[in-house]
Amino acid sequence: MFSTQDQGSQGQQLFQNNGQYDASGLAQKLQDQHLNSRTPSSPQRPKTSGSLQAGSDYVVFERNTENFSPQTREKAAATKLKVELFYNQNVQHAVERNQRRMELERRLASETRMSEERKDRQRQQLGKHESSYLRLRRTRLHPDDFLTVKVIGKGAFGEVRLVQKKDTGKIYAMKTLLKSEMHKKDQLAHVKAERDVLAESDSPWVVNLYYSFQDSVYLYLIMEFLPGGDLMTMLIKYEIFSEDVTRFYMAECVLAIEAVHRLGFIHRDIKPDNILIDKEGHIKLSDFGLSTGFHKTHDQAYYQRLLEGKGPNSPAPNQGRNSVLVDAIHLTISNREKINTWRQSRRIKAYSTVGTPDYIAPEIFIHQGYGQECDWWSLGTIMYECLVGWPPFCAEDAHETYRKIVNWPETLYFPDEVQLSYEAEDLIRSLITSADKRIGRHGADQIKLHPFFAGVDWDSLRSIDAPFKPQLKSITDTSYFPTDELENIPDAPAVAAVRAHEESGAPFSSDDTGLPFIGYTYKRFSQLHSKGGIP
Amino acid sequence: MFASPTSWQRTPQTMEFETEFEMEFDMVFDSPNYMASTDESPNDSRNFGRNQNRKGDKKPPPIPTGSNGQGIPAQPSAGWTPNTSAGKQTMRPLMLCQPFVKASLLKGSFKTIVVLPKYVDEGEWIALNVFEFFDYLNRFYGVMTEFCTLRNCPSILDYSWLDANRQPTRLPAPTYIEYVMTWINNRLNDEIVFPTKAAPTTTASLITPSAHSANNSGASTPVAGQPGDWIGKEGGFPPSFFQTCKAIYKQMFRVFAHIYHTHFDKIVHLSLEAHWNSFFAHFIHFAREFELLEKRDMEPLKELIDAFDAQIAANSSTNKAT
Repeated sequence: MFSTQDQGSQGQQLFQNNGQYDASGLAQKLQDQHLNSRTPSSPQRPKTSGSLQAGSDYVVFERNTENFSPQTREKAAATKLKVELFYNQNVQHAVERNQRRMELERRLASETRMSEERKDRQRQQLGKHESSYLRLRRTRLHPDDFLTVKVIGKGAFGEVRLVQKKDTGKIYAMKTLLKSEMHKKDQLAHVKAERDVLAESDSPWVVNLYYSFQDSVYLYLIMEFLPGGDLMTMLIKYEIFSEDVTRFYMAECVLAIEAVHRLGFIHRDIKPDNILIDKEGHIKLSDFGLSTGFHKTHDQAYYQRLLEGKGPNSPAPNQGRNSVLVDAIHLTISNREKINTWRQSRRIKAYSTVGTPDYIAPEIFIHQGYGQECDWWSLGTIMYECLVGWPPFCAEDAHETYRKIVNWPETLYFPDEVQLSYEAEDLIRSLITSADKRIGRHGADQIKLHPFFAGVDWDSLRSIDAPFKPQLKSITDTSYFPTDELENIPDAPAVAAVRAHEESGAPFSSDDTGLPFIGYTYKRFSQLHSKGGIP
Repeated sequence: MFASPTSWQRTPQTMEFETEFEMEFDMVFDSPNYMASTDESPNDSRNFGRNQNRKGDKKPPPIPTGSNGQGIPAQPSAGWTPNTSAGKQTMRPLMLCQPFVKASLLKGSFKTIVVLPKYVDEGEWIALNVFEFFDYLNRFYGVMTEFCTLRNCPSILDYSWLDANRQPTRLPAPTYIEYVMTWINNRLNDEIVFPTKAAPTTTASLITPSAHSANNSGASTPVAGQPGDWIGKEGGFPPSFFQTCKAIYKQMFRVFAHIYHTHFDKIVHLSLEAHWNSFFAHFIHFAREFELLEKRDMEPLKELIDAFDAQIAANSSTNKAT
């Protein structure tokens, strides 16, 4: 993206148009002088035969960064982007601040019976809020600013804790991610940008991100705490859903995925663990890219290796065993014990580095490209799981699952003992199909019109009563999270290594004090002074 | 008008921001796509470029303390002497040459982002801005560290640093700047000078009669200069707060001056001049709005500032004409 070659030649073009073009040989000499120059005065070459537009102080300067280190070029490119973002946000802040003030003035104007003194107090109050928001923006957050209430999730790169911000008492979910494990830099950059947009989208279907910061070891994401847990936990608890309940969650997922797509993004990792339940029982999507195991599960080479039969745990797979028939029989065994075993390992899988590939569309790891429709495949597999009790391509190891997904026309199977309505099965089959035939590829409306969703009021979905509303005793109630179970789950190796290091008292490079939020910190005005939400 | 300095870039775009308050503020992007590389490498921001200079593992620079109770750092040993040598006409500094002197990321009135927002505490406003100027200046300087070396920059203009014995010492630019940046960073991290923890008391000051009557006059800014009242008092900033900000500002200006005078060609090579110019112009506009820089301190870049002012004046007259 940082193509100096391009810029140089375009620069010449410009000067040429202005009659300012200089012989490139001369410019090159000049160039060398620039780089070797040790004198404080800047090298330059005044152009004396100036054109009319430019005047006599016009210079020809050929840009060239060939002799600059890649680090410097990278820093320059990053600085440019940061500065653009900074001014963009600066203006945005000014606009929003102004809107808040106008809104207050309008409201005060309509309050005819309010005394001027009181109105003035309200204006001052707004000023206080604005001021404390400014303060927040220069506050360097630190993990110590948060009190851990409980660990509510574990992953390959870190964990999720229920935390309380010490000074405000507000409750959040804090996700810690081990930076050393997230080494796929270019992918991360892409992921972060997406996350930035989604975090600021303010969509009711997306989990809000309020702050993020880092120290030398971890990246910290401070997110909205959704006390209802996730769909995975719910599926583990209820095993299967009725079609009515399934209809509700699938309909909400359709709207949520549609919201993500409207922002121009593909989630790519829709799975029950990423479908969170808020305090009213409605869903929100989480984990855009920074989910545990993201870079592994989306690493093409990794898939390729697995598909070639060089899975991490199966260096020499028994090809004979991989026959479709065997698998089909294997799955149709209506053996509660077997399914329960799968269900138990379900959570373990979710915590593993590899993550579960069960919900990923085949085109993601077969073809070069994929589009938004890959999220609709995932929805189909989740719907199958809701109604049948296990995901359609579940197998004992990831490699087997990959193989089944790739061979979905043979492996997609509806067990005889599970009674599905025609509409439900038809929708699943329309979702779990090749990308060019998949329902939803022309937009979510296609799916909304499917007979399975007949009668759903799409506009008011989020405001109706959810089938399961979490029964909460307090704002820090974690009864919908498997906290006891988590204690028995060992830390991921990388996490454990860091923890051991920490406990040994060995110092990390302690740059955390000097590190503020390095550019990507979300600090929301609404969070500071919201009336709704978690008190 | 502003298109020409940036038109070498790919598909320049102007983004317009409609604001309700008549002031407009635009940005010219060379590329609307900053998805491509938003990788913030975590270690390149707060360390001052070269040395992973972190608070804690670095000896604090030998700055004088307690000179007037505020720890104002080094002063220049002598005033800036403008380099009015005869060669000036023929060797015009690159920063003053076209098209680069006109390169700008931003257009429109800086007022939008500089003026104290209504009802907002002046101390908080200045604190945040100083904080952000430092953050981004540090970022820009981080790009320069490959060239700003002891060998290339054995001195920094006419500035000198007061050593532990309060003796003016001439330092190489990278050393001087490292001291400056460390000193500023330490101030910004100082909970007493720049408090962050205790949120500004939200209602207490409103209950007190004096504050209340002041508020009734419509001005939310405490009048600085009155005994017992100072900028930032409401937000819990110390009485020395404004002086500290001025001292920080003065030192930051010197870093700007060094980069402009010594490394501007690198800025151009890296295609950063539009961003850098606008950042500096923003810095100066903010300084003027709150009187954070003395005129004499701005001397080293006076010609550039004048050129920027002339452009703004020219633009506003063109705008009026059309």
